[in-house]
Amino acid sequence: MRDRNIYLIILAFIVIGPFLQPRVTVTEMLIFGIVAVASNIMIGYTGMLSFGQAMFFGIGAYVAGLLLKAGMPLIIAMPAGILFVLVLSIAVGAFCVPRTGLYFICITFAFNQMFYFIAYSWTDLTGGEDGLAGIPRPSLLDDPVSFYVFVSVVFLACIVAMKRIVDSPLGLIFQTIRENPERAAAVGYNVKLYKWISFTIASTFTGLAGTVYAMLYYIVPIDQIHWLKSGDFIFMTLLGGTGSFFGPIIGAIGYIWMYDTFALFWGRWPLLMGVVFVVVVLYLRGGIVELIGKVNDRYQRARGAP
Amino acid sequence: MSILIAGQVLNGLATGMLYAMVGVGLTLVLGVLNIPNFAHGTLYAFGAYFTFTVANWTDSFYLGVLIGPLLVVLIGFVIESQGVRRLYGAHHDYQLLFLFAIALILQETVILIWGPVGFSLLPPKNLAGGVDLGFIVYPKYRLALMLFTATLVVALYLLMTRTIVGAILRAGIENREMVKVLGININKVFLFTFGLGAYLAGLAGALSTPIWGLTPSMGLDILPICFVIVVIAGLGSILGAIGAGIIIGLAQSLTTVWWPEASNVVIYFMMGLVIIFRPQGLFGSR
Repeated sequence: MRDRNIYLIILAFIVIGPFLQPRVTVTEMLIFGIVAVASNIMIGYTGMLSFGQAMFFGIGAYVAGLLLKAGMPLIIAMPAGILFVLVLSIAVGAFCVPRTGLYFICITFAFNQMFYFIAYSWTDLTGGEDGLAGIPRPSLLDDPVSFYVFVSVVFLACIVAMKRIVDSPLGLIFQTIRENPERAAAVGYNVKLYKWISFTIASTFTGLAGTVYAMLYYIVPIDQIHWLKSGDFIFMTLLGGTGSFFGPIIGAIGYIWMYDTFALFWGRWPLLMGVVFVVVVLYLRGGIVELIGKVNDRYQRARGAP
Repeated sequence: MSILIAGQVLNGLATGMLYAMVGVGLTLVLGVLNIPNFAHGTLYAFGAYFTFTVANWTDSFYLGVLIGPLLVVLIGFVIESQGVRRLYGAHHDYQLLFLFAIALILQETVILIWGPVGFSLLPPKNLAGGVDLGFIVYPKYRLALMLFTATLVVALYLLMTRTIVGAILRAGIENREMVKVLGININKVFLFTFGLGAYLAGLAGALSTPIWGLTPSMGLDILPICFVIVVIAGLGSILGAIGAGIIIGLAQSLTTVWWPEASNVVIYFMMGLVIIFRPQGLFGSR
């Protein structure tokens, strides 16, 4: 499908979505859509699986939330949160990126939990177990519709920016590294540096989504930085499909929709999520995008058959 | 003060040995099967809860510790044979996600069966109370735990170095393909390894109950510690996992003396130091 058509579908979703689902749900879908697409820059494009993205989401949310609580305007709080995550992800990346495969997963996972415990123990600053509550929205965004418009604009800007990144020569280098790191190095690319850049880009956009999330429910719950959340991010990405740029958006929408539906009628909803994960992993590895493709193929064949 | 520190050193050793046991289980699975077992923590929790239930039914702590971890092995067998085995051909990401999903399911199952409230389990009568060590009166159960775990570690070491099974496992960690080429049924090796890993997790969970009690989140809390052990030890190093487990157990309990709030964070700090100064891990070679 042409990119322009996909953008039109996304625009249509943004306009129609709030009529089909509660507005906060759609807002959440957009926020986590940013996270899923960002995660896919690492997972799908560069072939790095980080199990610690919740630390960047959570820290972005905490920093922006704290600054907003301190009375800073959004125009300062949000860039400050993003900048903080950018610097942090460069630092954390320096530790993690040189390692590959299982080691990379273990280290990112452990770092995630380190920041969780810092947030958990530093009660004076972060509110600890109760979460960082009482985050104000700027008065301009304090009404539900204007906040939704704001999140939509941020979402579209992020998607366009990330699309430009992966379509640039930089994005091609990422894919070269995914396909064959040795050959990429042999051709003269500094593989570690580009992986580091990929890690930083993905983490910074994740942190950006976090800064917006802080305002959604006026609170940053502690579980937004827990390692389980990192697993959820990976799941959203894989559910949508890592093979395409826009696929993870569908994954995020699907995830939030399932979460809302399951949580409504059963307190033990993570069990159902687990079952869905298992089905996806065992039978639907290409994610929803592949499913759509398969259904479409069958439809075309049925129609085209003489 | 020195008595306090001596007591914390003993506590740290007891904690560290439990950590070592779970850590070795994860290392085995990671080394031989080449997958990070995200369900390891929940297997640990199941070990504790099974032990609790069996001990209450039979009125015997020992029977609980005997049977509980074996039930966990059954769960491990099912996970490996029904799920993980189908995914060996697939990418890493999917094995990881599968085990993450299993962790979610098991985690919620604990709450479904035993409820969201924690329990406590008393040590058996002949291990209740304390022993006078001369400088400190120390709980009998923790001393017995240290002795038992030390024996188990030696037994594991002998299993790994002196038996055919151990040789196959070590060969599997070194070079999986070569083991296959030599005509060894790799599926059986994987099943056995996963079962052994599950057993160690379950046993550690079972033995931890008289010290820490049971909470539904116990599996989620132990898992990051296991991964820190693996990173500090070096990927796939069994002896290293034992050493790393004891080191971080000691570090945690000694930090409690001076700065209790930091006791959870200190192990990650140590991990950072290891990554900077010895990236292959304290005991790792690759």
